[in-house]
Parts: sequence; C-alpha cells; structure tokens
Amino acid sequence: MPGTTATPEIEIVIEDIGGGAPPAPPSGGGDDGGDDGDGGEGRGKWSPPPKRYSTAIAIGLVSILMFFMALASAFIVLRAGSDKWIVVHLPRILWVNTCILLGSSFTLELARRRLSLADSAGFRKLWLVTTILGFLFVAGQLFAWRLLVAQGVYIASNQASSFFFIFTGAHAVHLLGGVAALLFVLLRNFEKASISLPAAAEITSYYWHFMDGLWVFLLALLYLGK
Amino acid sequence: MVTYDSGANHPETPQPGSRNGFLSRYLFSTNHKAIGLNYLWLALFSVFLGVAMSLLMRIHLVWPGVQLPFLSALADSQQRFATLATLHGSLMVFLVLTAAPQAGFGNYFLPLQIGAREMAFPRLNLLSFWATVASLFGMTAAFLIAPQSGITLWMVSVALFCAASLATALNFTVTTIDLRCKGMSLPRLPITVWAWFINAILGMLIFSILMAACLCLLSDRFLGTQFFSTVNFLSRQPANIAANVLPVLWQRLFWFFAQAEVYIAMLPCFGLTTHLISTFSRRPVWKERLVVLALCGVGVFGFCVWGEHMFSSGMNPFSPLVFSVLASSLGLPASILLLSWLGTLWNARIQLNTSMLFALGFVSLFLAGGISGIFLARHDLAAAAVSDEFVTGHFHLVMGVAATFAILGALFFWFPKMFGRRLNEPLGKLHFWLTFVGVYCVFMPMHWLGLVSHTNIYSSARLAAIATMLGPVRTFITVATLLTVFAQVLFLVNFLWSLFGGEKVETCNPWRATTLEWSVGSPPPADDFGVKDPVVYRGAYEFSVPDVIEDFVPQYVAPEEVAKSR
Repeated sequence: MPGTTATPEIEIVIEDIGGGAPPAPPSGGGDDGGDDGDGGEGRGKWSPPPKRYSTAIAIGLVSILMFFMALASAFIVLRAGSDKWIVVHLPRILWVNTCILLGSSFTLELARRRLSLADSAGFRKLWLVTTILGFLFVAGQLFAWRLLVAQGVYIASNQASSFFFIFTGAHAVHLLGGVAALLFVLLRNFEKASISLPAAAEITSYYWHFMDGLWVFLLALLYLGK
Repeated sequence: MVTYDSGANHPETPQPGSRNGFLSRYLFSTNHKAIGLNYLWLALFSVFLGVAMSLLMRIHLVWPGVQLPFLSALADSQQRFATLATLHGSLMVFLVLTAAPQAGFGNYFLPLQIGAREMAFPRLNLLSFWATVASLFGMTAAFLIAPQSGITLWMVSVALFCAASLATALNFTVTTIDLRCKGMSLPRLPITVWAWFINAILGMLIFSILMAACLCLLSDRFLGTQFFSTVNFLSRQPANIAANVLPVLWQRLFWFFAQAEVYIAMLPCFGLTTHLISTFSRRPVWKERLVVLALCGVGVFGFCVWGEHMFSSGMNPFSPLVFSVLASSLGLPASILLLSWLGTLWNARIQLNTSMLFALGFVSLFLAGGISGIFLARHDLAAAAVSDEFVTGHFHLVMGVAATFAILGALFFWFPKMFGRRLNEPLGKLHFWLTFVGVYCVFMPMHWLGLVSHTNIYSSARLAAIATMLGPVRTFITVATLLTVFAQVLFLVNFLWSLFGGEKVETCNPWRATTLEWSVGSPPPADDFGVKDPVVYRGAYEFSVPDVIEDFVPQYVAPEEVAKSR
C-alpha cells in the first residue's frame, strides 16, 4: 500500500534539503545562475568560490551517512533485543535492481570519461542512460513493495517489515534526489551557471556512487539481518 | 591620536538602484546580516514568550488556586502543565539557545570575521530561517490543540527545525572551509569562528540522528509501526508513572531532543565568552591552541554523551557505564576552558563593562552548574533524578541561564557594530546585577529541593520536619522568579531605547578589538568590505603588544602601518 508511505517520504525530502542531498545544483535550482542571491545590491561581482559545491556535498554525504547509520543501529539493536523476530523474505527483484544500480554507476563513469575527451554527444547519451537506469531502479523498488504487499506484508506488520520499508523508502527518496541532479546536469545550460559542466558532473557522480554503495550496505544489512 | 581605525564611521548609504522594500530588504533578504538579525529578533520574541510560560508554571506550582489566563481555562490542568513545560523548554532550547548564539550571531559575524562577503549558500540560508519560523509556529500551535495530535504536530515541527539546523550547519561548515579571505589561515581564526565551525560539524552529525529518530517516531504515529513501542517502554517504568502516560511521554520526548541540544547550545557560548574575556582583559587568549582543542573535545564528547540521557530515561539498551565515563570526561575540556579564562584574566587590566560582566557571569554560572553536573554523571543518581528539581536546577543554571548570559554579553559587545549605537552602560550593569543575583536565588534552592526529596538517610520525623520547609522554599523561588523576570524589563527598555536614542558610535572600532568586523563601518555596508578585499596579517588576539601606539594590533592592519604607528 504505497499511499501509507507518503509521510516518511515527505520527512526525508525535508531532511534531503538539510543534508544537502540534491547535490550538484546550487540550492534553489539556479534560475539566475548560481546562488548569489540578492545580496549583491551595490556590490561588484564577488561570488563565493565554486569549490564550495564539492565541499558541501562531501559534508552533506557524511550527514546522510549518519542518518542511515542511526536507522541501521536501531535495526541492529532491536533485532538483537527481540526474541520473536519475524523474517521478511526479500523479493528476488531486489537483486535485479541492485545490478541496475551498479550498472548505472558504471555508465556514469563512462559518461564522465566521454566528457573529459570532449565528446559532448557521447557524454549526453551515456548520461541519459544513467538517468534512465536510475528511474528503472526506483520503479523496481516500487515493484518490490507491491510484491510484498501482495503477500500481505505491510509496513506495520512487524518490526522487520517496518525496517524494510523505511530503509528502501528513505534510500529511494535520497536516490531520487540524485536522479534530479542527473536531470539537472543533462538539461542545464552551463554557460550562465556559476559552476562548470565537468564540476557539476563530478559532484553528481560522488553523490550517485555514494547512493550506490549505501544501497549495497542496506541490502547486506537486510539480508544478513534475517 | 593615531589609531588603526580607518577613520570615522561611515554609515551605510542606500544604493540608488537597490530594492528598498521592507520585505526584500529585511524579511526575504539573502544577506547574511539581515538573516542573522532576523534570527536574533525571533529569539527575542521566543525568550519573552518562554519566560511568560515559566512564570505561569511557577505561580501555578505555589498558588494552585490562582486563576491563570491560560491554565485555568483548560480543564485537565495536570496534562496542560506537562505540555506547558515542554513548550517552555522547546521555545527556549530550540529557538533561543540554539538559534541565537549560532544562527543569530553566527550568521551575522562569521562571514565578517573570516573576511567573506556572504555565506556559501545564501538562499539555502534564507530557506532555513523560514523553516525555523514555521517550526516556532508549529511548536506553539501544538500546545493549543488536543494533546494527541499536539504531540504529532510538535514532532513534525521538531523535524522541520532539525532540517533547518542541518542546512544552517552545512552553510556554516562550507563557509568556514572555503570562503576565508587571504591570510586567514586556520590558526588565525578567532575562537568564536572555531566554536561556530566545530558546532556546525557537531550539528551535521547530531541533527541527522535526530532526523532519523523523527522519521521513526512519525512513522509510529502515522503508519502504525512500532519502533518506539509504548508497551515495551511502559513495562520498564514504575507503576505510578505508567498511570499517566501522556505527560511523561511529553517530558521524555523533550529530553530526548534537549540532551543533544545542550552541547549545540553551549559550544558557541564558549567561543563568545573566550572572545569577550580576551578582548576586555586586553590579553591574548591563554593557551589558544589548547582552547581550540578543548572546543573540539567538547564537540566529540558532546556527541558521545548523547547516550547519557538514554540511561537517565531508562530507554538505554547499552551499558550505562560507558556513557557515564564519557559524561565525566567532558570535565576535561571544560576544565581546560575554565583554566584558559582564568589564565587570561590573571593580572590583566580588566575593563569591567556590561559585556565583560555578562561574560564573567557566564563563567560563574558554568562553574556552579558544572559542579552539580558531576553528580548527575553518576548513573545511579541520574536514574532517580530525571525531571525532578535537582535536574531542573542544574540544567537551567548550566544551559539556560549561562547561555543567556553569553548571548547578552555578545549583544552588548556587538550592538554598536550591528546598529551603530551603544547600549546604555549604567542600565546594563543594573540589569546584570539584578539578574545575576536573581538566577542564583531561583536555581540554587532547586538543587536543594531535588536532593532532599531523594534522600533516605533521615528518619521519618526529620523528613516530616523538612517537608514543612518545602513550601516556603518553593514560594521563595517563585518570588525570586517574579523579581528576576521584572528585572528583564530593564533590558527591554535599554534595548529599545538604545536602538533609536543610544549614544552614537563615532569610530569603526569602539572596543579597540582586533577582528575583521571592526574594520568596517557600523552598521556594516551591504557588501561588508567595500571595494577592497580584506587581508589578514596575524592571529586574532594580539593584545598587550609592546611598542605600538595602542596596546593591540588588529588582524587587518598591514605590518608597514604597524611600524609607522610605533
């Protein structure tokens, strides 16, 4: 029952903003090129250095990591303290999803290599493939939810299922932030922006690989936590 | 007289083409100074709201029959009482103690002190300010609606506050790392900036954990999950508490968040106090490197100590001993800070103005509160004490009042820079002494009340004798509270009067301080440093320098000019 999960997602979206999750774009999405705001009244052309974006994403990732570690430690503590833990059988499709996500990291790196060779068309093609794979992964996760719901496993069924839905849901929302960043890099006109295309692509790639690794970690946790 | 001051104070002249509407200039400006001021206004509003609530509570405690505007209208007074305490706590902790020293002064002065003209992400900054405002409304509204949905709304508001704090912390961290001006190496950072920076990193970690906790709590309430199972929780509580769950739930929830907040609120206050003491003793910070390390230590321990509260509230799955040891070892960095303050003050020509008085008041309160904290770090005692008067006294002295003193000290210090006028000194000193004596009269007897009610070494006859004294002591506390609160009217009058009619500041650097914000006009122009980018030549605390025209050398004065002034 997908409808019931709306609220945590909203909460995570809020956290996303805080954690600096939408990585590459400067906050606010950049409608006038960069985040200089309107503080520029009467001032010259001073703007903060572009490396602030990569610093922000590095710190933001630590923050997101803490968020998931807190959930993971709650999982471990409750799992260890419970004597009648009901196991959730992970749907097979999760393995397919994992392969899709790992593949997307691969295509993303290929795209960046194209970019460094100044092959703009090749870059855009591979970048688009990465974006589509990202969407496919989220769709696959939703399908996994449907499979569980069809078996009668809901988020409130037991603690194991709660953790399954919270982990996958929180990760999917963070990953959607990454998809938004991928789309941003694909569609943005970088001539007017305060950040260059390679820099934006690099920052997005950090976030994307991090989400990739995070998913592998969560999957391992859910698998071994059985 | 030759000074380093670049001359008279040039107040800001509005640019012809700039947007001058009230909304875009103040409320929705992305300028770091406007946002910092907005946080300070918000804190001022919240502090008076919170104080009014504590008055209601004290009066209700001592004279339960008195008709009170809020409480009497609501039928189930006991439940209201618990939610009132939570609301008082939330406003004070979240919107005053967390917002004012970090987001308020930090937003205004961090960029100025490191020579940046903006925060790293100005729009994100504005967004987090408005999220904070929304969380203030949410928390207040939570009190006014039915308790069950009130708790939910309160948690949503706290989640929103956490998100806003995360964004602010991210902004502070990136600004300090990437936006420092030429010459501003890390060892040259003022201690205030160090404190804001370390605090921001601590905030990034703690608020994400709180965010995860909020997610689980809200999922429990909306989706029927059982992360925080009430059944498990109640089975571990004494029977008398289980009977009225709801008030306890409110209290526990509050402490759950407040414990993490203690260190977030205190860290910038340490920085502010160190800065003020050094400036007004005209002495370099004693053992500056060690102070920075101690601040880092407070951050690290503060992060770990978070588990301390878990055993206080009986929800802790781990060994209490670990946290107890950690909580006690927080004493080490705290002692280093204390020694440094005393070392700076030693033999100094102290300028005892209001700002310095409040800084010294902070040291006194911190010492007094810290000593009772050592008792609380003992896990056997802590289990008995949560939410009783000993903890209330300790918590208020060390966190609430001490931090407020640091905020007031900083306000008296920076008021000339922010508004171009000084606060009135005699009125300020009177306000300080009344408040200082007042808070000790309020919170010291509370420690005693807390200890007495948990003692079991006396015979029942003596306990009965003590019990007759409890009433008068409580009345004394309430009367002292009333007087202390009325002393704050002095501050409000001083503040509002000085804003429009205070003595004008003639120079850029009225306190003869060393950091970069004193190189610009009061109030600073919109772009902070004008055409020329600032350059820093030395550390932040060059006081009592021999052979120069004055006893200090600011960070922004080039060596050639210093040589000229010899």
